Amino acid sequence: MSVVNYGTREITCKIVYYGPGRSGKTTNLQHIYSQLPEERKGKMVSLATETDRTLFFDFLPLDLGTISGFATRFQLYTVPGQVYYAATRKLVLQGVDGVVFVADSQSRQLAENIESLQDLHANLADEGLDPRTIPLAMQYNKRDLPASEISPIEELDETLNFRGVPYFAANAINGGGVFETLRSIASMVLGRLSAPATKES
Amino acid sequence: MAATTRKSAEDDSGEFAEFMADISQEIAQRVESLEPPPTAPPEPKKATPLQRDANLILEWENLADRMIEEMR
Repeated sequence: MSVVNYGTREITCKIVYYGPGRSGKTTNLQHIYSQLPEERKGKMVSLATETDRTLFFDFLPLDLGTISGFATRFQLYTVPGQVYYAATRKLVLQGVDGVVFVADSQSRQLAENIESLQDLHANLADEGLDPRTIPLAMQYNKRDLPASEISPIEELDETLNFRGVPYFAANAINGGGVFETLRSIASMVLGRLSAPATKES
Repeated sequence: MAATTRKSAEDDSGEFAEFMADISQEIAQRVESLEPPPTAPPEPKKATPLQRDANLILEWENLADRMIEEMR
């Protein structure tokens, strides 16, 4: 995906929030959306089931206005975390510029986190993107839960963050860590503007 | 344990403003460093050496007529 276009003076970045079901991906986008000033609020597209779980994907276009002469847009997506939506996850990953992996800090969800991370790597590879180099930020969500229910950050990081990318403790439902994570992934994506927008093999 | 108090609306709007400030600065730096070098202004066209090509230029207008003539 082309992220900078000098012809049309546009910068467009696609960021995908990935992770297991119920880890808080949609909650991240909802918090970002809730913080947008009215004049920047576009439509957040969210297709959820009756039980509030993402059925297809969420899409939040973030129009940042003109910065340094460039119309700047961030497109934020989530994927459905449930295992059986594999095809949708692959579809949403097409043309991605950066990924936020939202892990569920609950100890009993560790296996789901690992499975989702493996799924991410496989899908990135299928898209011709290198899971070892694509901009990635880890978010360990639900840190507001009782300590007895969640894994220590260090343990999660050792298990999941084998690339040693930036990681953030978050409680997205209250907004904690959401913008820190977004700022980090945005910075990484922008840092690659000079790189050709071709797919890596 | 992280505090779970919901931030006030004022804090929240500041959150986005901070994000915008950081990102704007970053983009400004990036586009400046990436801005393609200005293309050199096109070289002015050299004036046709009239003396040397005088015949060719003069004949050009009649080229179609000449071709028709030769085809006959």
